[in-house]
Amino acid sequence: SRRYVLCEVVSEDPRCRQCIEDRAVGLAVRDAIGRVHGDYGLACCSISFTVKYLNAYTGTVLLRCRKDSYRLLCSALPFVRQLESRNQRYPCFLNTLHVGGTIRTCQKFLIQYNRRQLLMLLQNCTNEEERRCIQKSVLSCFLTEEQSQSGDEEDDDGTE
Amino acid sequence: GRMERAEPPAATFERRVLRSAAEHHYLRVRLELPDGGARPSVAQFKQLVVAALRELHGEVGAALPVDVLTYEEKTLSAILRVISSGLVKLWSALTLLGFYQNRRCAFRVLQVKPCGGWTASPSVSSRSKVVW
Repeated sequence: SRRYVLCEVVSEDPRCRQCIEDRAVGLAVRDAIGRVHGDYGLACCSISFTVKYLNAYTGTVLLRCRKDSYRLLCSALPFVRQLESRNQRYPCFLNTLHVGGTIRTCQKFLIQYNRRQLLMLLQNCTNEEERRCIQKSVLSCFLTEEQSQSGDEEDDDGTE
Repeated sequence: GRMERAEPPAATFERRVLRSAAEHHYLRVRLELPDGGARPSVAQFKQLVVAALRELHGEVGAALPVDVLTYEEKTLSAILRVISSGLVKLWSALTLLGFYQNRRCAFRVLQVKPCGGWTASPSVSSRSKVVW
């Protein structure tokens, strides 16, 4: 069984977004695990490790690992200090948002989280133009009846 | 019979200390360095142990408090002390270490005992002076 770790990439440099892609993020996380937990930790976490989803615009990253090694993974995430891609590297850090047993629980969390973020952005607008744009985005987020997604992981007991 | 689930009493504090569990473990080890070159000093020996931990268990492993209680440079034998929760990390790290300064080597773990378990050597105790 597996664990899904939802995190966000936070960087002062907006160019860091270019590095938010599977290979760069995967390497950065594995490098951090190797530094913090050594060969043993890296080997443990590598079983079933993958970057399941990313969103370069919001900086959201969803990682997957084995249930047995998610603590090794989570404890190493604060040690990711930069992302490197195509010979460009930018400092950043990872914020862990949620750990779940299935992709679906992480998705539900992310929807709520993004909603809250949008509202906060609306509150912190500095000018009318921004305010109008965000209001438009918020109003366009209405629920539609979705067909159940294919490729859902087994519905694990997400509590740990 | 089946135990009923009782309501926990409000705001009590209970502390359990396991006196039987050993706090530290001792390891009697010997480093084999077959090339016959210069032998490590005690400081280099300690550094090697930490390096082994860092390789297998990362910064977390390298931060494990390990003490070299005795060291004999002539025979490359030592007695190490480690907190019991770190025993597996230390033992596995020593076992898997293959090189000292690019020279082939091997650690032999000869004896492992919990704190207070030595019967032979009265000079080694839990308050032994740390060599390095």
